[in-house]
Parts: sequence; structure tokens; C-alpha cells
Amino acid sequence: MKEIRIHGRGGQGSVTAAELLAVAAFEDGKYSQAFPAFGVERRGAPVTAFVRIDDRPIRLRSQIYEPDYVVVQDATLVDVVNIAAGARPDGFILINTEKSPGSFNFNTKAIVKTLDATKLAMDIIGKPIVNTILAGAFAGVSGLINPESIKNAVMERFPGKVGEKNCLAIQTAYDLMEAQR
Amino acid sequence: MKLIIKTVTKPGSTRANKTGAWRSFMPVFDHKLCSKCGICGIYCPEGVVNKLENGYFEPDYEYCKGCGVCANECPKKAIIMVLEGK
Repeated sequence: MKEIRIHGRGGQGSVTAAELLAVAAFEDGKYSQAFPAFGVERRGAPVTAFVRIDDRPIRLRSQIYEPDYVVVQDATLVDVVNIAAGARPDGFILINTEKSPGSFNFNTKAIVKTLDATKLAMDIIGKPIVNTILAGAFAGVSGLINPESIKNAVMERFPGKVGEKNCLAIQTAYDLMEAQR
Repeated sequence: MKLIIKTVTKPGSTRANKTGAWRSFMPVFDHKLCSKCGICGIYCPEGVVNKLENGYFEPDYEYCKGCGVCANECPKKAIIMVLEGK
């Protein structure tokens, strides 16, 4: 079983990113689970979303306290939320930022990876919407999900030109992060 | 059976909650083009665009959410939205 925790802000699509990852994993023939945890349910407030992926049926229904992977959609959350809480030493933390991984000092042995997904989003999608890009980047770093499955999940959810742009961004992010494995 | 429902927070939570971190785009004010009309301050939905001592306007970036209303409304086009690095 692999557990993923996604940190974002209300309105950024963190819950959608979790759902897309779960649908993609399901399409890969795995069992998956995706659910959010809100504090204040409003735009801008910190939001956490969780994903579980396993080869066997998942019985566990709790929040995720010791994630294998952490994804951070907004780098400013690093100052507000303890995004590294419970991170496993052999996992990684993926952060959307223009800074280098060395800029961050978390109290954990998990590897820190960074990607300027916002710039990628502006270049390819035209808006600073990074949730699908980080889903692709996550697949690139972890190798857990097939990028084709993520694209299929996105096209199902966002048909037409919007979905196509997102798919291009997903593939770009995947290639960038896969090269760093 | 005493039922206690907490529906009131301590005063000042709006001021304590810095919303500037939410931004993707940041408004930059060009004082050369500015005519000091103050429309940006009037339109600001957060009320954070303030007049400086010299009459020009500048937002409080700790609270500015980068919505872009000021840039959209400025009659002199003196405000542009710049992608802010994080």
C-alpha cells in the first residue's frame, strides 16, 4: 500500500488532483481511495487531500498520518502547515516552487523534489492551475502510476481543448521528473 | 446538560490571517503613469490598496490576494499583474 498526502489551498484543485490520481491508479488495475480533509472550507484556506493505492482491496478508512509521499501545491504552505509530518524516510516530498530542493529544511529524511509547476502551467495551460501537472510530476517521480492513465482520467473529467492542454502539461511534467529519478 | 457552542473567535482574526500568500499574480504600480485618482483603492475588494504620503497608491502585499481588479479598473493602465515566484 502506498499513501499520498496532498497539500494545497481551497480553490486550487487539491481534491481533484487526489481523485484523478485515484481514478488513474484504478485504471492501472490497482485499488485506490481518495478523500479530502478540510479545516475551514473556503477559498485560500489550507486543504489536505489523501490518496491510497494498493494491489489488494483497501479496508483502511482513516486519514493518512505517515504518508509515503507528500505533494505540496503551494510553497507558502510550508510556513503554515507542517507538511513533513509523518513523512516516511524512504519517501519523497514534491513541492511546486521555483526554488531548489536544497532551500528547504524539513525535520525528515524524506527526499525533497521541486518543480516549477506554476511556470509550466502558465506556459502550456495559460493559467496558474497546477493540480494536474503535479499529478503528472508525481507519477514521474514515483513511477507508481502510468501517465497515460492520468491523461485518460483528465480527458474523462475535462473533455475537449482544456483536457488536451492539461494532458500535454502532464506529459511534460512527467518527463521532467522521470529524468531525475 | 450544559451545551456549549463556540461560534465566536477572538477579535482580530481577519487582520491576523495574512492572505497575501494566496496570490499567483502580484499587482505592480507604475507611479509615472498614475494620476492619483484613487479608483484602484475604491475598487479593491480587500481594502488593501492605500494612498501613500505622496498621493500615489500601493497595496499592502501581506493581504493582497492578487485578484487583479485594480489593474482591470485603472484608467491610466498604470497597474500590471506580474506572475509572482514562490
